[in-house]
Formats: sequence, C-alpha cells, structure tokens
Amino acid sequence: MTLLSAHNVFKTYRLGRVDVPVLRGATLRVQRSEFVAVLGSSGSGKSTLLHLLGGLDRPDKGSGVEGGSGGAVVYNGKPLSELGASGLDAYRSREVGFVFQFYHLLPELTVLQNVASGAMIRHGLVGYRVNKPKVEAWARELLASFGLGHRLRHRPAELSGGERQRVAIARALVNDPPVLLADEPTGNLDRKTGASILDALLEHRRATGRTMVLVTHDAEVAARADRIVRLDDGLVVTGP
Amino acid sequence: MYQALLIFKYLTSKVMPLLAAAAVMLCTAMVLIVWSVMGGFLVMLLGSGRTLMGDVSITWPVIGFGHYGELIDRLEADPMVAAATPIVETIGSLSLPDGRISMVLVNGIDGPGYARVTGYEDSLWWKPLAAPLPKDKDRRDWRLEDPDGDAGFWKRAYQDGLALSKQDEATGVSRPAAVLGIELSSFNRRDPGGWYQPLHWDVRAEDGSIRLETGPTFILKRTVTLNVIPLTRQGRSVNSVARVLPVANEFKSGVFDIDAKKMFIPLATLQEMLKMDQAGRVAPPIDPYELEIGEDGEETFIEAEPTAIAPARVTSVLVRAKDGVSPEALKDQVRAVYVAFERDHKGQVPHADRGGIHIQTWREAQGVMVAAVEKETLLVLFILWFISLVASVLILAIFWAMISEKTKDIGILRSMGASKGGIAGLWLIYGLVIGLIGSALGLGVAHAIVWNINPIHEWMGRALNVQIWNPEIYYFTLIPSRVRPDHAAIVFAAGVGFSVLGALIPAVRAANMDPVRSLRFE
Ligand SMILES: Nc1ncnc2c1ncn2[C@@H]1O[C@H](COP(=O)(O)OP(=O)(O)OP(=O)(O)O)[C@@H](O)[C@H]1O
Ligand SMILES: [Mg+2]
Repeated sequence: MTLLSAHNVFKTYRLGRVDVPVLRGATLRVQRSEFVAVLGSSGSGKSTLLHLLGGLDRPDKGSGVEGGSGGAVVYNGKPLSELGASGLDAYRSREVGFVFQFYHLLPELTVLQNVASGAMIRHGLVGYRVNKPKVEAWARELLASFGLGHRLRHRPAELSGGERQRVAIARALVNDPPVLLADEPTGNLDRKTGASILDALLEHRRATGRTMVLVTHDAEVAARADRIVRLDDGLVVTGP
Repeated sequence: MYQALLIFKYLTSKVMPLLAAAAVMLCTAMVLIVWSVMGGFLVMLLGSGRTLMGDVSITWPVIGFGHYGELIDRLEADPMVAAATPIVETIGSLSLPDGRISMVLVNGIDGPGYARVTGYEDSLWWKPLAAPLPKDKDRRDWRLEDPDGDAGFWKRAYQDGLALSKQDEATGVSRPAAVLGIELSSFNRRDPGGWYQPLHWDVRAEDGSIRLETGPTFILKRTVTLNVIPLTRQGRSVNSVARVLPVANEFKSGVFDIDAKKMFIPLATLQEMLKMDQAGRVAPPIDPYELEIGEDGEETFIEAEPTAIAPARVTSVLVRAKDGVSPEALKDQVRAVYVAFERDHKGQVPHADRGGIHIQTWREAQGVMVAAVEKETLLVLFILWFISLVASVLILAIFWAMISEKTKDIGILRSMGASKGGIAGLWLIYGLVIGLIGSALGLGVAHAIVWNINPIHEWMGRALNVQIWNPEIYYFTLIPSRVRPDHAAIVFAAGVGFSVLGALIPAVRAANMDPVRSLRFE
C-alpha cells in the first residue's frame, strides 16, 4: 500500500532570467514500511525531491508541458496541496522526520533539548508542560538506543560528527513520525562512521518497521535499501 | 514552548541581545532624564510664581495707591478670596557687611499677612529643622542644631523673620529688621545637596576637638544699610533715605534671580522711608512772614492748617484664592471688586479700565517665561519621540542582524513543523523581553541620575570644569531632581512598545523566510 508518493512533480528554480529545471515530472511511490534509496549525482535534485516529499517546499503548479495536470505529492491518499499552511506545519511535525547531511542541530540547546524541541513544537506551551515527563523519557530512550545516553547535557559543538548525526536522527524520531526522510545522512562522515550510522538506522527500522526514504549519491549506501531508484535528468528511473 | 527556551538561550549566550537591551536602556534613560529635568523646571517655575505672588496681584507701580485697607477688607469679604495683603515694591541699594553694595528689589510687607497669601513662611530659611534634608546623609545642615549652644536661636530667628523685627540685645527694644534673599549676601555657601552653610569659624577646644561657631560673619548677627529714593506723587525724586537694619532671617524661594536680588522689610518702615505713609496735606500760608499778634502782645507765625489727609499708599495688593478657585476666575472677581472700590473713590485711586490698574494672575505676570518653557518642553517632547524612533530602528537593525545569523535555525524549526506565526512570535516575544529588561534598567539608571543630578553636576563642575546648569540663566539654584511616576510609566511603556515595534519587521521577515532557502543558508 502506497503511503507517500510524488506524482509527476516539476520543480524549476529561476536564477535571474535563466530557468534551471531540476525535476521534470518525477514520480516516486513509497510503500508503507518500505526503505527506498534515491540515488543520484550531485545536483540532480535529490534534496529538492526530498523537500517536496516532506512538505517543506511545493512542486511547481500546472507546469505540465509534459505532465498536463501538474504534479502532486500525496500522503496517505491525500494531496499535500490540500492541506493549507497549518496542515502542512502539522504534517511536518507529526508525519515526517527530517535528517540532514549537515545535522542542523540548534547550537544553543543541549542534546536532550535538541531532541525534545520537535515535541515542544508539536505540543505547544501548555501541551508540552503536560507531556514533558513522557517526552523526556522517550527522548532519553531514543538517545540511549543510539548510544548517547551519557551525553544529554552536552552542546552539539562538543560532539563528533557521527554523534551529532545520531542526535539529529533521534530528534527526527521524537514525535514517532510514520516516515523518516534522510538527506545524505552519511555524506559528511567518514566511511566507518557513516556505516555505523547506517547500521543504527537499519537496526531502528528492523525494530519499528518505519517507512524510510534516503537520498544519496553513494551506491554503496543505497545498496542497503529495499529498493533503489535513480534520479536522472529530473526523472525517477527504476532499476540499478 | 520552544520559543521560551530559545529566547532564554539566545539571551544568555549572545552579545547581540545585551547590546539591544543596552540601547533600549540608554534611550529610555535619556528620555526620562530630559523629561524629568524639563518638566521639573516648568513645575518649579510655575510654583515659584505662586510662592511669592499669591494668585492675583493688583498693581499700580512706583507711585502706588491709597485706601488699600478698605480694598483688602472688600476683597476678603468675597467668598472666592482666602486672603489679601498689601506690599510696597521699590528698588534700592544695599550695603552689605563686607562692604559690597548691591542693587536690590525691596518689598515692604506685613509679615503675617504676607505669609497668609504667599509661601513666605516656608521660604524662611533659618528655622529649626527636625530631620535632615533627604540628601543630607551626614547631617551637615546647620539648622539641625542651634548654633553656638544658643538654645532656641533658630526658633527666634524664625519668629523674627515672620515678624520682620529684631530685639536689640542691649536695650531689649524690638526694631524693624530685614529678611534677605539667601543668595544676596556672600555669607553662605550653597551645598549641592540643597542646604546652605554659613561662613563659620572652626574653634579648637582645649581637648583638641574642633567646634563650629557662627562667628562674626554670620549674617543674622549683622546689620545692613538700605538706601531708597522716595518719589513724589508726580514721580519726582526726593533726597535718598538710608536706614540701618538688623538682619532677622534669610529666605529661599529657589528662584535664583529672586534669591539673589530680593529683600523684605516691614511695610510701615518702607512706606515711611518712601514717604508713602499717611500724611497731612497743608496749604502753605500766603505770606510766610505774616505774624499774628496775640492779646498779650505775643507774636506768633501763622501755622499752616492741614487741609486734607493723604492716605498711606502701597504699590500692590496680592490676593490668594480659596482652594478650588482658579486664578483666572479669581482675577475676574477681583476686577469686579476693584471696579466697585474705584467707583467709591473716584479720582483718588487708579481707574479700573484699560490702561489703569494692573490686575494679573501669577501666570500672566510670568507669562513670557512660562510660555517659553512650555514651548521648549513641547519641542523636547517632540525630540524625545524622535529618540524613541531611533531606538526602534536600533532594535530593528540589531534584530535584523540576529535573524540573519539565525536563518538556519529558522529553517530547522520550520522543517520540524514550527508555524510562521510561531517564528514571528519567537522574535516578537524576544523583542518584548529585551524591551522589558532594557526599559527597566533605563528607569533605574534615569532615577539614579536624576536623583543625584545636583551632586553629579557639582562633580562635573569640579572635575571636568563643565557647568551646564548656570543658576543665573536657568533661574533656579538647583536642577529639578524628581522623576514623576507617571512619566516613568509612560517612558517604560514606550520603551517596551518601541522595542516590540523594532522587532516587528525582522519578525515578519523571519516568518516569511523560505524554509528550504534558510536550510541552505551558510
Ligand atoms: N533555491 C535555489 N535557487 C536556485 N537553484 C537551486 C536552488 N536550490 C537548488 N538549486 C539548484 O537545483 C539543483 C538541485 O539541487 P539539489 O540540492 O536538489 O541537488 P542534490 O541532488 O541534493 O545535490 P547534492 O548531492 O549536492 O546535495 C542544483 O543545481 C542547485 O544548484
Ligand atoms: Mg542535496
């Protein structure tokens, strides 16, 4: 059953007067509990596609020279374009979790606060007060499962790259989203650390059956997914 | 929730918000200081007029007018009038004990009556003081204790001042005495804390301790010589008249110009000196050498018969309104009373129409000065709004920079589901908190500076040789040093308001940032 899909999406950036078409009718279907790797060279539009899937950006409207009706991203049978601003915020908060190549932790917050911040945004001021013990216990558990149980009060700047990425993954999972979107999570790490991060992700997935979309330019990383698609010339092509 | 946490973290880990709060602090402090001093100046100016003039004055300068006793009775019978009192005002020259000669404004007053109309009683300086002035931490004010171990000295000085008389120590007879403006003689030194020290002797006792004694330079133990020039009813001068007067007390109105130039003596004394007292008018005999031979053959010169009594004259009658009666309303009433009075004394007193008697409220008497200060205050308030705007722009610039620095954080928060409103709220609350902190600090700083503005000014004069507040220009010896709570509240609210206003545009910008671009931001 398809949980998250992009249908015939277009994305063109405009640099001054020059149009830079990045996605030209890309289509990708992700089944529930599936782990899909999107493989593509640098600049092929992997991040762009992931941002569209995560509701962080919208595909071009009606840009269908080829596509006709224009593209749509559909989650659980419902197009994101129908969600409205607050619906999209809720979608990003509850349904998907982002992991970025450069970790993107908040430098002023401790490890624990960084992980809990997703829950703070989700619950609001009053709700977070009520849920705080539950959320913090869950955040500790997540961090412990990624081997960071003893670094709760540290700042991101005091951690290694691999440790930071584990914190970022824990943060993405704090609201228990059905979908995890990872943008080259190992791209900034050495091979060995990257492999251990990947191990941790796979281990987590085995335990929870979470749906995962991972984009990478590294075929070796992609090889560990259930299914690999390629992003080529703005289109998603299946097969190795 | 994340807003509260992030604001707290940003506040405690960054220099920028401290700079922003400091900017708010400086602006609010500056506004409040200027406002307090200017506003205080106006209040003092208005108050001083009333202290020395009462609410309304009826004046016919130089020559004066008679029948004032009856006018005062008529005025005091009016329900709007609390009290009325006569004064004679003239100029004279005063020889001080150190040989200096000063031009002075001499007021002949009836002490107790004058005190009922004006703030004369409170303005008398030398009197027993139960508690030191607020800034006199070391109890250096002489009035706290009777000088030279002379019990009751200040009390007597106070009563003498009120009565404008002084007992001659040798004869025990009461003599008319003078009350001088406290800046008139150079026998006192003004302390920036607001009190005066007479020149004194440090007397070393046998046990080596130092005792302060007033010594011979103490003005209350000296006499002064006053010279005035009487004028005839036609305004021609007669030979000048001099009088030696003991000094009963000194007064301080707070208005430098007055304290340095004015003196009081008893009304009767000044009337006598100026020949404004009651006098018989005589018809000179036709032949001054004509003799009358009596029945016993005795020859006598023919005496001139008094043909009329010229009443005593004063130059002004001052009137004080009952509580709740405005000076303007009183002025109209006083004019009505005067019209009736003048009708009964046709030709004997100045007429009541235009060009006749001057009837003025104290505000009108000081009209030019008050108008100038009111205008100036308005101008300053306008400038203050401008300063507030500058503070806003400062906050805007600082927030703009902070938001640029925090662009990536904004993208991260948006990717985690933070709404636009949430991001805008984060920065607005941040602006509010900075405004609150900065304004609170600004209020504290302003209060500390205004409260100590006179010592600070004194110190600037001494250490840096800068004197901004020249009492001869600014009218008052002390710089106003009170912060009005309502002004403080307004400045606080404005400080907070302008901080939020300054944060508004950057907050909207932050909210409208494209999350994807923010994440790509390096
Ligand atoms: N905001 C933007 N404005 C203009 N061009 C953009 C913008 N964002 C992305 N692009 C361009 O779109 C193309 C795809 O970018 P994207 O980040 O999706 O590539 P990517 O496959 O993730 O690359 P990498 O592997 O280097 O991360 C690039 O050529 C990039 O320069
Ligand atoms: Mg990318």
